[in-house]
Amino acid sequence: MTETRPAAEENDIRQYENLLKKRRKNRWTDIRHQIPLYLMILPGMIYLTCNNYLPLFGILIAFKKVNFSIGIFKSPWVGFDNFKYLFATKDAWIMIRNTLLYNLTWIALGLVIALAIALFMSEIADRKIAKIIQPVICFPFMISAVILSYIVYGFLSVTNGYLNSVILDKPINWYMSAKYWPLILTIVHFWQVSGQSSIVYMASIGGIDKSLYEVARIDGARKLQQIWHITLPLLRHMIILMLLLSIGSIFNSDFGLFYQVTLNSGMLYSTTQTIDTYVYRALLEMNNVGMSSAASVFQAIIGFLLVLLSNAVVRKFDKDSALF
Amino acid sequence: MNTTRMGSEKVFHYVALTVMILIAIYCITPFILMLSVSFSSEEAISKFGYRFWPSKFSTAAYSFLWAKRLTIGRCYLLTILVTTAGTLTNLVLTSLFAYPLSRKDFKARNVLAFVVFFTCMFNGGLTASYIVWTRIFHVKDTIWALILPGGLMGAMNVLLVRNYYSASIPYAIIEAARMDGAGELRIYSKIMVPLSKPVLATVGLFAAVGYWNNWTNGLYYITNSKLYTIQVYLQKLMNNITFLKTSSNMAEQAMLANLDLPTEGARMAIAIIAILPILMVYPFIQKELIKGLVVGSVKG
Repeated sequence: MTETRPAAEENDIRQYENLLKKRRKNRWTDIRHQIPLYLMILPGMIYLTCNNYLPLFGILIAFKKVNFSIGIFKSPWVGFDNFKYLFATKDAWIMIRNTLLYNLTWIALGLVIALAIALFMSEIADRKIAKIIQPVICFPFMISAVILSYIVYGFLSVTNGYLNSVILDKPINWYMSAKYWPLILTIVHFWQVSGQSSIVYMASIGGIDKSLYEVARIDGARKLQQIWHITLPLLRHMIILMLLLSIGSIFNSDFGLFYQVTLNSGMLYSTTQTIDTYVYRALLEMNNVGMSSAASVFQAIIGFLLVLLSNAVVRKFDKDSALF
Repeated sequence: MNTTRMGSEKVFHYVALTVMILIAIYCITPFILMLSVSFSSEEAISKFGYRFWPSKFSTAAYSFLWAKRLTIGRCYLLTILVTTAGTLTNLVLTSLFAYPLSRKDFKARNVLAFVVFFTCMFNGGLTASYIVWTRIFHVKDTIWALILPGGLMGAMNVLLVRNYYSASIPYAIIEAARMDGAGELRIYSKIMVPLSKPVLATVGLFAAVGYWNNWTNGLYYITNSKLYTIQVYLQKLMNNITFLKTSSNMAEQAMLANLDLPTEGARMAIAIIAILPILMVYPFIQKELIKGLVVGSVKG
């Protein structure tokens, strides 16, 4: 009895080792089998490396005094000097103020407009005309900022624009008058995105159980009461998710809108300069790599923190809606 | 009580209908202004300005574009080339990347999914990518500048296609194919791609519209007028209308010199023909685009 036990144990051990060997072999064959999968990833990986990950090292440029004649690597480190210079200028505050104010106004206004359109569209969804209206209101989203600038120019051109030549008695030099642009850009922005931004809410409204409205109707609820007590509460999660997503990009702006639609007019900077237009102008018009990269890195880091923050808030509020 | 409720629903319905019709008209109106200007005679424009109806109808702007067809046609063809090449490459890269990520038995899937996802949260900004593309890859003033920076493979699209693969294509199909001796590339090309046509259509359409409309790459990286896409051409033209009168082609230049230039109208006419392709395919693709918007904006 005592002698068979070690033998049995030995046997067990041998079996176990065999199993391990087999498994190891399996694993090896697994990875070997998966080589084609890695190869499929490869082209995309190369692209991400070039387009997204190499520029991450470019963040270091913000901490250097770049001199292209000696190369970026040999250029001296200057710590936070670029940021100091940037925030010492008036430009910094103007562009941050503009970016934030436009975004905050547009987030609030955009929510109201998108919800209203979604409610109206769902109301008339059964009509044939809805099938025409829907694509029509989404179409402006399909055109580029350059085309947009032509359209706006059609209305605002000093000599021939529709407003100056038909509507107004006294022509206004729109591209020289900064004070009108917050309003102009707001109108243009919502002309372009309203239809498209309502789609998400429309899809959510479409998913609401119709019998809820039947019950409310039997209880004598009017249309607005139904919207207030049924539709909006059920859209709450979607609304909050969209709001938090937009807060994550509150330091970003639509470059095309602020640069091209304003025709890059220097007279308008006080109301049209945003971080994105500044980064571009500093880099390619003023050839000031330091300032440009400082603004750009500032935007990227604050934006990243805001994304993390808003995601953390969503997570706490509603785990399923969180992005990660 | 009952009648007021019915009344309120009816009122709301007709308010909704009216408002939506007005919004639809509001969305179209600006395009009509453009169209009208492009069909107005130059004297009428300088006399009355831009109007919603041409006070004097003229096709001079379009005949001018015809005279300048070498330049415009070149921009147009280049845009088509860039859009086609960019969209196809985008589709291949995106779907190739998404397939392994969708495989539950693929070891690196979580790490790689994070590598993709991270790019939407954090980026080096314009300055850094400008320096990478110009100093390391030297794309400045090459056709690559119009294709490579930015739009070749989007993280959101990769995740969208991956979700489609893992949700709509049962793993059993892949296993069965493997039993039959199919390699990964074969499974990808013969099973995954054909079965995911709807989502690939959406991704492809977005990529195509993106490339067609892209003008920023031209703004950042292109100075050579031979590499202007139609959007870049329009962008330069807006800043400098005299640009219309020049051509890199000698014969065309000689002809342009003799033409009376309908500059205002011609400008709008070029803008019209730049929208035209989108306008033509839009009715057929809008459903896909809207579907894509819903999925894309809800969950990555």
